[in-house]
Order: sequence, then C-alpha cells, then structure tokens
Amino acid sequence: MICSIKSPVERRYVIRMWIMAALCVLFSLLAVVVFRHGHPHGIVSYLVAVLPALPIMGVLVYTGVYLAEEKDEFQRNLLVQSLLGGTGGILAVITAWGYMEDLAHAPHMDLIWVYPLFWLFAGISYGLVRARYR
Amino acid sequence: MKNRLRVLRAERDWSQADLAQRLEVSRQSVNAIETGKFDPSLPLAFKLARLFETTIEAIFSDES
Repeated sequence: MICSIKSPVERRYVIRMWIMAALCVLFSLLAVVVFRHGHPHGIVSYLVAVLPALPIMGVLVYTGVYLAEEKDEFQRNLLVQSLLGGTGGILAVITAWGYMEDLAHAPHMDLIWVYPLFWLFAGISYGLVRARYR
Repeated sequence: MKNRLRVLRAERDWSQADLAQRLEVSRQSVNAIETGKFDPSLPLAFKLARLFETTIEAIFSDES
C-alpha cells in the first residue's frame, strides 16, 4: 500500500502513521529519560509510562478514520481483511503462549509485544489477501 | 459473479486505469471486479451501469 499511494485519503493515512511513529519514538525516549532522572512515583509514574502508548492508540484511531474516509470499497475490504488476519494471528499466538506459560512453564512473554506482533500478522495478511486478488 | 466489464471497456477503448478514474476507485479495484474476484456493492454496480449506459443485469450475471 505504501509503495503505490494514489488517493489523498491514503496519502493522509500514511502521513498520520509516520507522525504517530515519530511521536512514539519521541515519547518513549522522553519516558525513559524521566524515569532515569526524575524517578517519578505514584500516579505520575503511570502517566509517564503510558505516554508511548498514546501514539499507538492514535494509530488505531487513524486506521478507523481511514476506513471511514476511504471511498474505494475494494481497498477498504483489503484493509479490513488484513486487520482481521492481524487480530486472529495475535489472539492465536497469545492464547497458545498463555497455555504454554501456565502448563509447560514457557518463558513469560511481555505484553508490549502484542502490538508489533498484531501489525506483523496484519502485514502478512495484507500480502496474502493482495496475492489472492492478483 | 460473471461480468462483461472487459467487453464494455474494450468497446470504448478504455484501459482499466481509465475506467478506475471514471469510477473514482483504484485500478486494482477494477481488475478485481473484472476478474470476478470481488463483487462490487450495489451503489458501485449502479455507478458502472450509469457509466456504460446500461442496466446492472446487462453487466453482471449470477454464475449459478
């Protein structure tokens, strides 16, 4: 999708994604610096810790906005199928890993991996869905 | 669903990109519809019918 941006809606979506990615890096660095030098505690520590998650939530919101704005129903269909693939993929992995942790004492998987893994599965799904329509 | 888009397009000497531009969709959308891999919504089917000055039934036919 990124390599063949045509519609203004698509272009807006990609620009918003880059802004959210930049904010995510910025807020992550900021949170690390604050925790390293400011030693926050209580409610402030929670607020600072959640900072990098805000742009991530922004990505999800803007993905919804893209689906609402995109007039091309085929492109919408591609993205919806990819997101379903991403959701199914990550649910399958974390459920399986949960059982492995509980029953087979597999190493603990940090929840921070859920989001990147979701997009990894969504990306793989997008490729597979696109191939089906070629 | 079968359709006559390729024929209708050829009669007018339009490329997939030309048709996509007229429909305000991507060329991939036109290709997916034309090859029968994606069924358009009713509003898009009406838009196609208006563009080709015909009926939806004259463009699309139920395979069964």
